[in-house]
Amino acid sequence: MPAKPHRGLLDRVSGYADEASAYLRRRRLTRRPFARVHTPGGRSAACGPETDEGRELFLAASRVIDAARD
Amino acid sequence: MPDSRKTAPSAADAEVAVARLTAMSADLRGCVILDSAGAALAASGPIDVWSEAGRGLLAAADAAAGEPVSHVHVGTEDGEAFAVRADGFALVAAAERFTLAGLLLFDIRAVLRDLARGPNAVPARTEAEAA
Repeated sequence: MPAKPHRGLLDRVSGYADEASAYLRRRRLTRRPFARVHTPGGRSAACGPETDEGRELFLAASRVIDAARD
Repeated sequence: MPDSRKTAPSAADAEVAVARLTAMSADLRGCVILDSAGAALAASGPIDVWSEAGRGLLAAADAAAGEPVSHVHVGTEDGEAFAVRADGFALVAAAERFTLAGLLLFDIRAVLRDLARGPNAVPARTEAEAA
Protein backbone atom coordinates (compact mmCIF):
# COMPACT_ATOMS: atom_id res chain seq x y z
CA MET A 1 0.00 0.00 0.00
CA PRO A 2 1.56 3.37 -0.98
CA ALA A 3 2.48 5.83 1.81
CA LYS A 4 0.17 8.75 2.30
CA PRO A 5 1.41 11.83 0.41
CA HIS A 6 1.93 13.98 3.53
CA ARG A 7 4.05 11.32 5.27
CA GLY A 8 7.32 12.48 3.66
CA LEU A 9 6.73 16.07 4.68
CA LEU A 10 5.99 15.06 8.28
CA ASP A 11 9.14 12.91 8.39
CA ARG A 12 11.21 15.82 7.12
CA VAL A 13 9.80 18.27 9.67
CA SER A 14 10.33 15.71 12.42
CA GLY A 15 13.94 15.24 11.27
CA TYR A 16 14.61 18.97 11.40
CA ALA A 17 13.11 19.17 14.89
CA ASP A 18 15.36 16.33 16.06
CA GLU A 19 18.41 18.07 14.61
CA ALA A 20 17.48 21.35 16.29
CA SER A 21 16.95 19.77 19.69
CA ALA A 22 20.27 17.88 19.40
CA TYR A 23 22.03 21.16 18.52
CA LEU A 24 20.52 22.91 21.53
CA ARG A 25 21.49 20.00 23.78
CA ARG A 26 25.10 20.09 22.54
CA ARG A 27 25.22 23.87 22.91
CA ARG A 28 23.95 23.64 26.49
CA LEU A 29 26.61 21.07 27.36
CA THR A 30 29.52 22.96 25.80
CA ARG A 31 28.45 26.26 27.34
CA ARG A 32 28.30 24.88 30.85
CA PRO A 33 30.82 26.71 33.07
CA PHE A 34 33.76 24.66 34.26
CA ALA A 35 36.87 25.08 36.39
CA ARG A 36 39.88 22.83 36.60
CA VAL A 37 42.94 23.24 38.81
CA HIS A 38 46.27 21.51 38.19
CA THR A 39 49.04 21.03 40.74
CA PRO A 40 52.79 20.69 40.12
CA GLY A 41 52.56 17.00 41.02
CA GLY A 42 50.33 16.36 38.02
CA ARG A 43 47.10 16.13 39.95
CA SER A 44 44.09 17.89 38.48
CA ALA A 45 40.62 18.40 39.84
CA ALA A 46 37.38 19.86 38.58
CA CYS A 47 35.70 22.40 40.84
CA GLY A 48 31.96 22.75 40.54
CA PRO A 49 30.15 25.98 41.39
CA GLU A 50 28.13 24.15 44.05
CA THR A 51 31.10 24.12 46.47
CA ASP A 52 32.38 27.18 48.36
CA GLU A 53 35.84 26.88 46.81
CA GLY A 54 34.38 26.45 43.34
CA ARG A 55 32.12 29.46 43.77
CA GLU A 56 35.08 31.61 44.86
CA LEU A 57 37.02 30.37 41.85
CA PHE A 58 34.26 31.34 39.44
CA LEU A 59 33.92 34.76 41.10
CA ALA A 60 37.67 35.33 40.85
CA ALA A 61 37.64 34.26 37.19
CA SER A 62 34.79 36.69 36.49
CA ARG A 63 36.88 39.51 37.97
CA VAL A 64 39.74 38.60 35.63
CA ILE A 65 37.39 38.57 32.63
CA ASP A 66 35.92 41.89 33.76
CA ALA A 67 39.42 43.37 34.08
CA ALA A 68 39.94 42.70 30.38
CA ARG A 69 36.92 44.90 29.62
CA ASP A 70 38.41 47.96 31.36
CA MET B 1 76.58 33.62 41.00
CA PRO B 2 72.78 33.66 41.08
CA ASP B 3 70.96 35.27 38.19
CA SER B 4 69.27 38.32 39.68
CA ARG B 5 66.98 38.63 36.62
CA LYS B 6 65.09 35.53 37.73
CA THR B 7 63.84 37.29 40.81
CA ALA B 8 63.69 40.88 39.63
CA PRO B 9 63.16 41.45 35.93
CA SER B 10 62.54 45.04 34.96
CA ALA B 11 59.04 46.33 34.33
CA ALA B 12 60.09 46.90 30.73
CA ASP B 13 60.96 43.19 30.33
CA ALA B 14 57.56 42.22 31.69
CA GLU B 15 55.83 44.71 29.39
CA VAL B 16 57.63 43.17 26.43
CA ALA B 17 56.43 39.75 27.60
CA VAL B 18 52.83 41.00 27.81
CA ALA B 19 53.11 42.53 24.33
CA ARG B 20 54.58 39.30 22.95
CA LEU B 21 51.77 37.19 24.37
CA THR B 22 49.18 39.63 23.06
CA ALA B 23 50.73 39.40 19.60
CA MET B 24 51.03 35.60 19.71
CA SER B 25 47.55 34.75 20.94
CA ALA B 26 44.66 36.02 18.88
CA ASP B 27 42.08 34.99 21.48
CA LEU B 28 43.75 36.79 24.37
CA ARG B 29 41.74 39.66 25.84
CA GLY B 30 44.26 40.75 28.44
CA CYS B 31 46.79 39.54 30.98
CA VAL B 32 48.99 40.42 33.95
CA ILE B 33 52.37 39.12 35.02
CA LEU B 34 53.05 38.75 38.74
CA ASP B 35 56.32 37.98 40.47
CA SER B 36 56.74 35.25 43.06
CA ALA B 37 55.64 37.64 45.82
CA GLY B 38 52.43 38.48 43.97
CA ALA B 39 53.45 41.98 42.87
CA ALA B 40 52.29 42.95 39.40
CA LEU B 41 55.13 43.63 36.96
CA ALA B 42 53.09 44.49 33.87
CA ALA B 43 49.55 44.24 32.58
CA SER B 44 47.68 44.86 29.38
CA GLY B 45 45.26 47.22 31.19
CA PRO B 46 45.01 49.13 34.47
CA ILE B 47 47.69 47.47 36.57
CA ASP B 48 45.95 47.89 39.93
CA VAL B 49 42.76 46.25 38.63
CA TRP B 50 44.66 43.42 36.97
CA SER B 51 46.92 42.95 39.97
CA GLU B 52 44.00 42.44 42.34
CA ALA B 53 42.12 40.21 39.91
CA GLY B 54 45.19 38.09 39.18
CA ARG B 55 46.09 37.58 42.82
CA GLY B 56 42.46 36.75 43.56
CA LEU B 57 42.32 34.01 40.93
CA LEU B 58 45.56 32.44 42.12
CA ALA B 59 44.42 32.54 45.75
CA ALA B 60 41.03 31.02 44.89
CA ALA B 61 42.71 28.29 42.82
CA ASP B 62 45.15 27.47 45.64
CA ALA B 63 42.26 27.24 48.08
CA ALA B 64 40.29 24.97 45.74
CA ALA B 65 43.25 22.66 45.14
CA GLY B 66 44.44 22.67 48.75
CA GLU B 67 47.97 23.51 47.61
CA PRO B 68 49.66 26.01 45.25
CA VAL B 69 48.51 25.26 41.71
CA SER B 70 50.68 25.10 38.59
CA HIS B 71 47.81 26.28 36.43
CA VAL B 72 44.07 26.81 36.48
CA HIS B 73 41.51 27.11 33.70
CA VAL B 74 38.01 28.46 34.28
CA GLY B 75 35.39 28.74 31.56
CA THR B 76 32.35 30.96 31.98
CA GLU B 77 29.70 32.18 29.59
CA ASP B 78 31.53 35.51 29.27
CA GLY B 79 34.97 34.14 28.52
CA GLU B 80 37.76 32.04 29.93
CA ALA B 81 40.35 32.76 32.61
CA PHE B 82 43.78 31.17 32.91
CA ALA B 83 46.52 31.38 35.50
CA VAL B 84 49.92 29.74 35.08
CA ARG B 85 52.85 29.63 37.50
CA ALA B 86 56.23 28.93 35.94
CA ASP B 87 59.86 29.92 36.41
CA GLY B 88 59.13 32.04 39.47
CA PHE B 89 56.41 34.11 37.83
CA ALA B 90 52.67 33.87 37.40
CA LEU B 91 50.64 35.00 34.42
CA VAL B 92 46.90 35.47 34.67
CA ALA B 93 44.95 35.93 31.44
CA ALA B 94 41.44 36.39 30.11
CA ALA B 95 40.58 34.89 26.73
CA GLU B 96 37.68 34.43 24.38
CA ARG B 97 35.22 31.61 25.06
CA PHE B 98 36.20 28.32 23.38
CA THR B 99 39.81 29.39 22.89
CA LEU B 100 42.33 26.62 22.22
CA ALA B 101 43.42 26.18 25.83
CA GLY B 102 46.45 23.99 25.11
CA LEU B 103 47.85 26.48 22.63
CA LEU B 104 47.34 29.43 24.94
CA LEU B 105 48.94 27.58 27.85
CA PHE B 106 51.92 26.74 25.63
CA ASP B 107 52.30 30.41 24.65
CA ILE B 108 52.01 31.57 28.27
CA ARG B 109 54.69 29.13 29.42
CA ALA B 110 56.98 30.17 26.55
CA VAL B 111 56.59 33.85 27.46
CA LEU B 112 57.27 33.19 31.16
CA ARG B 113 60.31 31.06 30.32
CA ASP B 114 61.73 33.81 28.12
CA LEU B 115 61.03 36.40 30.80
CA ALA B 116 62.92 34.30 33.35
CA ARG B 117 65.85 33.79 30.98
CA GLY B 118 66.31 37.49 30.33
CA PRO B 119 65.92 39.86 27.39
CA ASN B 120 68.94 38.58 25.43
CA ALA B 121 67.79 34.95 25.32
CA VAL B 122 66.52 33.48 22.08
CA PRO B 123 62.71 33.22 22.31
CA ALA B 124 61.53 29.66 23.03
CA ARG B 125 59.31 29.61 19.95
CA THR B 126 62.22 30.56 17.69
CA GLU B 127 64.30 27.73 19.20
CA ALA B 128 61.49 25.26 18.64
CA GLU B 129 61.02 26.36 15.04
CA ALA B 130 64.76 26.06 14.36
CA ALA B 131 64.91 22.51 15.75
